[in-house]
Formats: sequence, structure tokens, C-alpha cells
Amino acid sequence: MKLSAVILVTAVVLLSLTCKADYDITEVASPEHLETDHPHEHDEYELEDAEHGESDHEHEAESVETGSVHDESLEHDVSDISGSDRHVHGAGERNHGTGWFFNQPWAASFIWGKMVRDSVILIILAAAIFITSGYRRKRK
Amino acid sequence: MKPVMTFALMTLRNLLRRRAIWGISIVILISLFGIGQIPSYGVSNEGRFILDFGLFGLEIGALLLAIGLASNIYPRDRERKTVMPIIAVPLSRGQYLMGRFVGAAIVEAAAMLVGCIGLMIILIINGHAVPADMLPATGLLLVEGWFLLAVVFFFSFWTSPPLNAPLTVLLFIVSQMSVAGFIKLFPQAPGLMRTLRLLLPHMDVFHIKDPIAHGIDIPGLYFFLAMLYGLAYMAFMLSIALAIFRSKDLK
Repeated sequence: MKLSAVILVTAVVLLSLTCKADYDITEVASPEHLETDHPHEHDEYELEDAEHGESDHEHEAESVETGSVHDESLEHDVSDISGSDRHVHGAGERNHGTGWFFNQPWAASFIWGKMVRDSVILIILAAAIFITSGYRRKRK
Repeated sequence: MKPVMTFALMTLRNLLRRRAIWGISIVILISLFGIGQIPSYGVSNEGRFILDFGLFGLEIGALLLAIGLASNIYPRDRERKTVMPIIAVPLSRGQYLMGRFVGAAIVEAAAMLVGCIGLMIILIINGHAVPADMLPATGLLLVEGWFLLAVVFFFSFWTSPPLNAPLTVLLFIVSQMSVAGFIKLFPQAPGLMRTLRLLLPHMDVFHIKDPIAHGIDIPGLYFFLAMLYGLAYMAFMLSIALAIFRSKDLK
């Protein structure tokens, strides 16, 4: 009974540690990580907005009309793309509205340490429960 | 270890005789074939859709397989009273659980491997390249499937089979949610909902279909950490299942 109480208290302490620093990425990410706009694109749009007061999409539409290619990728050939598809980003580059994509664990390396921490806590808990239940079974 | 492996192989042969397992595996393959038949309507990068939907199909397949494989094992053993002679002499309760789990895990691994190869063949037939991270991605889905298998075993020791499946599916769904999303389910008690969510696993750790479909390389370290996390959660669920099984009076 005493051993069970010790295990229970240990489990609560370990779980409370986990609760204090969960890895819900949108809650623990730095502002830099949550920023999803493309840096040079953002500057360019700010400049344009200041000068002409036009929105991003108007800018795209204008560039399509005038025939100028707004190409942001060195890897992609956009010669066969027309209309709004001309706004092209390379693989892995951030675009506006893609925050969800980069808020997944594989892209947020700052939570990997928390994954290790949780794994260690779970293994300790598993071992504690295994030993305690075996001890109680023997006492029966 | 030898008794566990012997019992696991017995479980494997037992499971392969069941029609439900073959039915689920065939449904997974037919679904993958169907995904490959969706017309692209001239949209470029059609391979992304096939890959994305295909890996999603494998994940759902892992869930269905876990339920189909494990929800009936212990209740059937108890109903037929085969569990009592098994744990009376040759095996301890822990060895019984591990033998059953390892047998079901081998079947799940084989089914996922067949599904992965099927998806690769569909990509090749449609003229798309097979990404290098395809096998590791399937490996992560397999670890997720093993975790779900442990959850099904956990539920099977204290619920009936008809209740086991919806509880596992419910856990699967809420484990995909973010903390903020989970709190919105019952905003009147945010503290309680936050604590509840923090006890549940983060299944999004196993999802790497988006970066793979978009050609983004995943660091090898991430695969290792995600597998460690999944296996640790699996061990945790198995230990709770064993604790419940040990406390049960089978007479």
C-alpha cells in the first residue's frame, strides 16, 4: 500500500511537470517561428502598399496583366504557369496562410526536447506501474 | 522470452485464420488502388495527392487493423475459458499479454508493409517518383498502429468488444487535436480540459505526409524521436493494461 502511494505521488509529480510545459506548438513557439509571411515578399508588399495602397492579390493580378513574372523560386520553371499560379514558392519556403504547415512537430525543432522528456517520463511510469502491479499480484 | 515468442507465433497463426483481418487488408489495398484512379484533371503534381491520401489511408488502415486484431482476443479467450489453463501453468499474465500483443503487432507490421509497397506501386504506375522518406513515414504510422493496438488491449480488459471500438476511435480523434482545439469542446472548464488533453498522446507527432508530399526532407533525428515517443506511450499503455489484467479475478 505504501509503495502504491509512493508510485502514485511520483506519477502525479511527473505528469505535473509535463503539464507545465506541453508542446502545443502554437502556445510555445517563438514569434519568429509563428511568422509565416515571406520576408522579402512582405517588404515588397509593404512598399507597394505604401505607394499605391493596393492589396497583395491586386498586385498579383497586375503583374499577370502586364506579363511580368513574379517568380520567387530559383528551382521552379514557371513558364507554363499562368494566372494566380504565377505566385510560386520553392519547396520548404513559407508562404502566407501556411502557418498550420510549419506548426507541425517535424518542423518545430524546439519541441523535440519535450518529446524526449515525455518519452522518458512515460518509460519511468510504465516501469513503475509494471513493478507495482507485479508486487501487488505477488502479495495476493 | 522464448515462451513469449512461442505464444506470439501461436497468436499470429490464430489471427491469420480470421477472415476479418484479410477483409480489412483487402479494403486498404482497394482504397489505395481507388486513390490511384482519381483523375488529375490536368492539375500538376498529382503525385502529391496520391501520396497524401495514400498515407492517410494507411493511417486509417492501422486504426482499423488495431481494432480488428485486438478487440476480440482477450474476450474470446475468456469466453472460451482458454485463458485460465494458459496462465495457470505455462505463462504468467505478463507473458500472456506480451505474446498476444507481439503476435498482433507482427500482423499489423506485415499489413502496413504490404500497404506501403502497394502505394509505391500505384505511384510508379501513375508515373510519379517514390519519395525516399516513404518507408520511414510508414514506419511512424506503424508505431502509431502499435500504440493503438496497446490502447485496444487496454480497453479489452475492462470493456466489452462493442464498446472497445468506439472508445479507441474516440481516443484516436481527440489525440489529433491541439490543446486549444480540445479546450473548445468544453470551454466552461478550460483547466480540466487542458489537464485531460495533456494526459492524451500527441498523434500529430506521427504525421509527416505533408512534408513528404511537398518534397521537404525530414531530419533522421526526428524519425528516431517520434518512434521513441510512440514506443514509450505504447509501453505505458501496455503497463496499465497489464496492471488491470493482474488485478482481475478470472474465476
